[in-house]
Amino acid sequence: MFRLKKIAFTMLALLMLLLAIHPGYGQASAESASGTDGQKTITVGLSADFAPYEFRITVDGKSKIVGSDVMIAEQIAADMGAQLKIEDIAFDSLIPALQSGRIDMIISGMTPTDERRQNVDFSDLYYTSRQVILTRAEDADKYKTMAALDGETIGVQSGSIQEEIANGIPNAKVTSVKSISDVVSQLTSGRVNVAVFEGPVAEAQVKNRKGLAIADAVPEDSDTPMAIAVAKGNTELVAEINKTLTRLNAEKAVDGYIQQANEMNSGETAPSNIFSFFWKYRGFYADGVKYTLLLSALGVLFGFLIGLLIALLRLSGVKILKWIAVAYTEVLRGTPMLVQLLIIHYGIATAFDIKFTVLQSGIITLSINSSAYLAEIFRAGIQGVDKGQMEAARSLGMPRGMAMRTIIIPQAIKSVLPAIGNEFVVIIKESSIVSFIGVADLMFQANAVRTLTYSGLYPLVIAAGIYLIMTLILSKLLNVFERRLSAGDNR
Amino acid sequence: MITVKNLQKSFGKNQVLRGIDAEIKQGEVVVVIGPSGSGKSTFLRCLNRLEDVTGGEILFEGQPITDKKHNIDKTREKMGMVFQQFNLFPHKTVLENITLAPIKLQNVSRSEADKRAETLLQSVGLADKKNAYPAQLSGGQKQRIAIVRALAMQPHVMLFDEPTSALDPEMVGEVLDVMKKLAEDGMTMVIVTHEMGFAREVGDRIIFMDGGVIVEEGTPDQVFGAPKNARTQDFLGKVL
Repeated sequence: MFRLKKIAFTMLALLMLLLAIHPGYGQASAESASGTDGQKTITVGLSADFAPYEFRITVDGKSKIVGSDVMIAEQIAADMGAQLKIEDIAFDSLIPALQSGRIDMIISGMTPTDERRQNVDFSDLYYTSRQVILTRAEDADKYKTMAALDGETIGVQSGSIQEEIANGIPNAKVTSVKSISDVVSQLTSGRVNVAVFEGPVAEAQVKNRKGLAIADAVPEDSDTPMAIAVAKGNTELVAEINKTLTRLNAEKAVDGYIQQANEMNSGETAPSNIFSFFWKYRGFYADGVKYTLLLSALGVLFGFLIGLLIALLRLSGVKILKWIAVAYTEVLRGTPMLVQLLIIHYGIATAFDIKFTVLQSGIITLSINSSAYLAEIFRAGIQGVDKGQMEAARSLGMPRGMAMRTIIIPQAIKSVLPAIGNEFVVIIKESSIVSFIGVADLMFQANAVRTLTYSGLYPLVIAAGIYLIMTLILSKLLNVFERRLSAGDNR
Repeated sequence: MITVKNLQKSFGKNQVLRGIDAEIKQGEVVVVIGPSGSGKSTFLRCLNRLEDVTGGEILFEGQPITDKKHNIDKTREKMGMVFQQFNLFPHKTVLENITLAPIKLQNVSRSEADKRAETLLQSVGLADKKNAYPAQLSGGQKQRIAIVRALAMQPHVMLFDEPTSALDPEMVGEVLDVMKKLAEDGMTMVIVTHEMGFAREVGDRIIFMDGGVIVEEGTPDQVFGAPKNARTQDFLGKVL
């Protein structure tokens, strides 16, 4: 089993290398405002699809997060003499991110509800907004009062205050989705008839997207205050934030910020032709492809090595090792990859204080998930090699490990190459899941373009096309590789 | 050279070898014959411990190789084995099949291993096949390569497990010729075979096994010419 040790050692070394990848690398947006090196950094989490509070615009072909909340964050950072770092995280993952210490505060139009107060602490209020009912323009007349919403289908962003309001409407059928652009897509595609929205956010949507209107109905108690969330017990930070907020309130600055942000938000007009659309936003997709390829390649590489190790453990004949390998494969194949991703990214950080960057979490999840499938493929391959091969190798005096390495495994890999190739293709597609924690991969960028352009279809169609091209090219490459390896077969 | 004492082997509850005592001397060619299921292949495979023994002892050049602490890999380098199904490595060329073990296990340089392999290939008439893959060879050619692969380790003894049983009849001769030449050169050999003519011509001693025990042994003339045991007579009556 000397060889196993060597494989394990190599893997450990590679893992170290992985962990050494610069922490900021691959972050959705590690943007920094004012400040130089050596200063402390303050990391702000937000869900950048909430114009005018926080949203993305293109500046010189690059995506940038702006909005009134960002301006407030800049003020807080400046007052603290810290460097500002912004992380774009799905709204319902913001609080877990704060609790696990990945971010220092949340400035994302968040209302300090009682439930949230149980998990995090809040600053003073910095803005109070009202809620409105957004609907399709032709249906706007139907919803003059809240009574008209009885039993209606309603779309909201999951984990948001709007979700609570919607749940309070009698007989409402509420659909909660991840992002604001998904809510709007639900509405425009007719899956829901109305959506509960923050006033300024709804106005931004109506302004930028045809066919939407704000109905006359106004949710009761719809004044929703916003505050900044920090980790529970971090009173020092709250005090610092409140100092800045007091100043901004005195200057009546926030209304001005929202005004300013609304103006920034009106610049984008997306081309109506899909090819020019793609060309305009090619920078986003190019960035996304880079990360998707990096993630898939590393995921597959580690998955390959770990999978081989697990397969060898399973076939080692040592009961306890076999049992470990079986448990490993069953657990990883029997649980959703999204759950694994969230456990690795948030769960482990909370429980053990190990903070992987989003890219590291993504790579680790893809690696271990694919390793479970590859382990089974390898096992089938190794067991499929004729018994006589091992006997012949051993009869020449080769130790078991050497026989495995030089005789059995090469034949096994060759025979399962099509299955491995298939798994690689699967990983390229499945890697899209990492956009959930904010890795700036292809899927993430497609969503960014969606938010940016208020366009529901093109960004996704383009992403699908790029995924297809990548998987087709990979399949072709694997075919060539297979043909190379088939030297020695009957011809 | 090889001493077998009260060798026993069971597969689960099925006892295949029921106490075998045998002695194989330096330079001797011993042919093991017997009906199928008699345990002759298992006996051969126990000699280099491809099968772990259940009981008894085997000494090779004075060392108890059935001892758990014994490094069997080192011993196997000195015991070449040829299989019924050839078992060439399909992903390697003929030359690689032959040189792999000497290079990996005996620190022989590549050029030295190649030279050794080419000389051996020459002697079995397959020098032109060195860059071929096993799938491109006939059965007889494969088995001759398998013999060369074992010989490349310069073993002290060669074990043959029904080396011609998987061959088309017209290819049996070419393999037996190689084995005959090997015997003439003084190689110690233990051969399990159904080729009675070959056994009689080349064997120094014949062992007849049945039911997991040695029923009769002696020179070819004794065993084939005047078998004493009724089971031997019965078996030879059927195959000759």
